[in-house]
Amino acid sequence: MDQTTRKIVIAGVMGAISIFLGASHLGFIPWLAGAALTIMHVPVIIGAVLEGPWVGLAIGFIFGAFSLIQAAIAPTGATDVWFTNPFVSIVPRLFIGPVAWLVYRALSSGNEIIALGVAGVAGTVTNTVLVLGALGLLRLLPWGLIGTIAVTNGIPEAILAAIITVAVVAAWKRIETGRTGSTV
Amino acid sequence: MAGLSEFELLGRVTIGQYLPTGSRVHHLDPRVKLVMVVLMITAVVVSHSLVGLALLLAAVVSGLLSARIPLRFALAGLRPMLPFLLLLALLQVVAIPQYGAGATVIWRWSILTVTDRSVLAGVLLIARFTVMVLGISLFSFSTTTTELTHGVEHLLRPLQALGVPAHEFALVVNIAIRFLPILAEEAERLMKAQASRGADFGRGQRNFITRTRRLLPLLVPLFLVSLQRAEELIEAMEARSYLGGKGRTHLIHLQARLSDYVALASVAGVAALVIRLSLTNADGMVWRWLTEHLL
Repeated sequence: MDQTTRKIVIAGVMGAISIFLGASHLGFIPWLAGAALTIMHVPVIIGAVLEGPWVGLAIGFIFGAFSLIQAAIAPTGATDVWFTNPFVSIVPRLFIGPVAWLVYRALSSGNEIIALGVAGVAGTVTNTVLVLGALGLLRLLPWGLIGTIAVTNGIPEAILAAIITVAVVAAWKRIETGRTGSTV
Repeated sequence: MAGLSEFELLGRVTIGQYLPTGSRVHHLDPRVKLVMVVLMITAVVVSHSLVGLALLLAAVVSGLLSARIPLRFALAGLRPMLPFLLLLALLQVVAIPQYGAGATVIWRWSILTVTDRSVLAGVLLIARFTVMVLGISLFSFSTTTTELTHGVEHLLRPLQALGVPAHEFALVVNIAIRFLPILAEEAERLMKAQASRGADFGRGQRNFITRTRRLLPLLVPLFLVSLQRAEELIEAMEARSYLGGKGRTHLIHLQARLSDYVALASVAGVAALVIRLSLTNADGMVWRWLTEHLL
């Protein structure tokens, strides 16, 4: 049996979680000076780790397209102005899943938990660097400020993403293999 | 305690905002509307010309008028952004020097430099954002999500010959949209269950670590419940012999009419003109005319 149905459904469901986290504002955590942290990219990482790079790409596209639509018709914060540009909102998000998957695959022969955590961090860093890089290249923000945002928002987001990725995937795989008890 | 409204998530997760006025724009082929949105976004992003953006703005406003969508509806998305938009434009004007050929310094104070280019960049930012918001609102006011997914699938179909999984991708989008109300319901149930056990989701709580620790008991089960639902859906689809897009027939057949071709041709014309204008530096001519005759 080929895995197409599984890939389609997981991509759709993870895309829905990403949209849901954004639309319900559950995916935003208030942070310094109103620049909220986001975990909307975590479904992309989890989908990529579970089902591979193409699924990650599809979820990343849904995440990006939704953040573009949301920025345009239902803005939540001040920075939404930038995200109406697809080079900021969509293109960088396409890379989150494939990068997270590559990192996970490279490390998964060792400790699974560490591989998941590092994949979470790698996916987040991809998002932070590419989105801020796009803002810099489009001359919307001075590079000095971009460096500051990368540190103040990027680091806590990476930690959060790693925690959630590990918690969800470890719990899910345990259910699948029927093991009980905590290994985390 | 903020009351029960804290748990009401369902009402907040609508995508788009379909407004059934039954106008000519609503009856356009969704494929055509999708292409028009893509053309518009491309033109907005590519255009460095104020004249071009004014043209696009005129096109989008005339679209809103013929769709019989009240302008204040479309502008509603813009209002909360306005203060910040102005701040960003200001930042663009004073903090990011735009040099390049022919830039003249208008004003300088310690590290702040204002050139005519940077003023133009600030104005362009506001114009670009306004056109984008109105254009995307026009699309979402006049297109249902079902039409949208049909449109995506039909548009991508020719690419299937090249190995692009068009049908599969359209199904992914469809599942994501259909799953939203289910997810909202599950999240509501989880929040109530955790709250009945004394959980406080810390809305308004600004401490990062407390906020996060309180969100985890909601987020992790939400992911797991969704994955469980996904497994059920996979099983249901496989039990019904779902085999992907090969040899599939469709209930709804999209048929482009004359009005679709006319709309598409006019939008394509405007987009081409706008891109042409940014290449010929129409603004430079207008700017020169203004400085010669008014200053």
